[in-house]
Amino acid sequence: MSVIKIGHVNLRVLDMAAARNHYENILGLIVTDEDSEGNLYLKGWDEWEKYSVILSPSEQAGMDHIAYKVENDSDLDSYANTIQNYGIEVENLDAGTLVDCGRALRFKLPSGHIMCLYADKTVVGKSVGNVNPAPWPLDVKGVGAHWLDHCLLVCPLDPENQVNTIADNVNFLSQCLGFRLTEQALVGPDADIQAVAFLTVTNTPHDIAFVPGPTAGFHHASFYLSSWGDILKAADIMAMNKVKMDVMPTRHGITRGETIYFFDPSGNRNETFAGLGYLATPDMPVITWTEEEIPRGIFYHSGELNTAFTEVYT
Amino acid sequence: MREEDINSKYNITIVDTDVTFKCARETHLLEGMRSLGQKGIPSGCHGGGCGICKIKILSGRNSYITKTMSRTHISEEEEKKGIVLACRVFPKGDIQLNVVGKIKRKILSGQKIWNFS
Repeated sequence: MSVIKIGHVNLRVLDMAAARNHYENILGLIVTDEDSEGNLYLKGWDEWEKYSVILSPSEQAGMDHIAYKVENDSDLDSYANTIQNYGIEVENLDAGTLVDCGRALRFKLPSGHIMCLYADKTVVGKSVGNVNPAPWPLDVKGVGAHWLDHCLLVCPLDPENQVNTIADNVNFLSQCLGFRLTEQALVGPDADIQAVAFLTVTNTPHDIAFVPGPTAGFHHASFYLSSWGDILKAADIMAMNKVKMDVMPTRHGITRGETIYFFDPSGNRNETFAGLGYLATPDMPVITWTEEEIPRGIFYHSGELNTAFTEVYT
Repeated sequence: MREEDINSKYNITIVDTDVTFKCARETHLLEGMRSLGQKGIPSGCHGGGCGICKIKILSGRNSYITKTMSRTHISEEEEKKGIVLACRVFPKGDIQLNVVGKIKRKILSGQKIWNFS
């Protein structure tokens, strides 16, 4: 029984035509479906399930929910029990409630974000197929993102009032769903406040991450590219398309990832993330960043936080 | 549309700080300000989603047009009062404005990470 990977993120967008152009032609995702309510379903060329991104028309930007895939259908029953016993209410969703998925669970993380678990989603295959595949497809658009890599969520933190939903999320996901903490930042006079946390269910440095804020929100969805050269080309393509970038190509200390941060046309932040950093097997000791080195943990070269990155989210 | 309309640039004034810059009608106010190296309006997502560039327009409804802004940050009532997001405002005349509030949503502030307001 295990959670095996990030499944999808459902983002709310203000202008669907602009959003479609961004995710399809600039990020290079492939549109696989569109429903009567105007939701658009997309996947990366290197993904096999039908979608990893759902775009939903809305008057409010941000994230609707994030979903992870479990190994077996029966895991859903076990996880439903575990989550309920932990004290979190679980909603059982019939097959098809999550489009093209089997039955699913829906619940709120301690931070207030909605998470779903599913075991089965329609498989349409990678663009390069499964037999004697080419290393990449010739017809990929834009920056050619491989897959949805992870999301970072903004979680309420108010230590003076004993509120730390980052730590609460870490406890819940570790105890109930088998996520493993890979990196953290500890802050405060006694360095005992877990203010930043990165967790994985695979062998990559993170499949989900949390940073603090006054209100719950969506910080970014990250899409995988394979090399630093791809990151440079991605920045070129974004500049050609006048995409608003808030962090130019650089490296993270945390995860060692090579990165660009930019916004979709509704202000939801995206990242292109290259390099797999390191192998995060279950026996890897947790990496800790101290408070004074957090800026270098986030932007390794400058060692400085920028206000847009730390204060802007949807 | 006449050619001078397409090429028109308008005078944008941030009243409280006495900052002025010129902005073309196809350019949103935040981009207009930033591209000239001017400061005053906080810059965020440039997509109407994050709400950080909230301003109040003092020059009247006929001086600008808007594109869609997230209702998380701008209610219909606010929009009617000229309270808008600078990244979704395009000038069609000279504009006077003030920045609404200051940046309040710090999620990490370096040395004072646990002490945000």
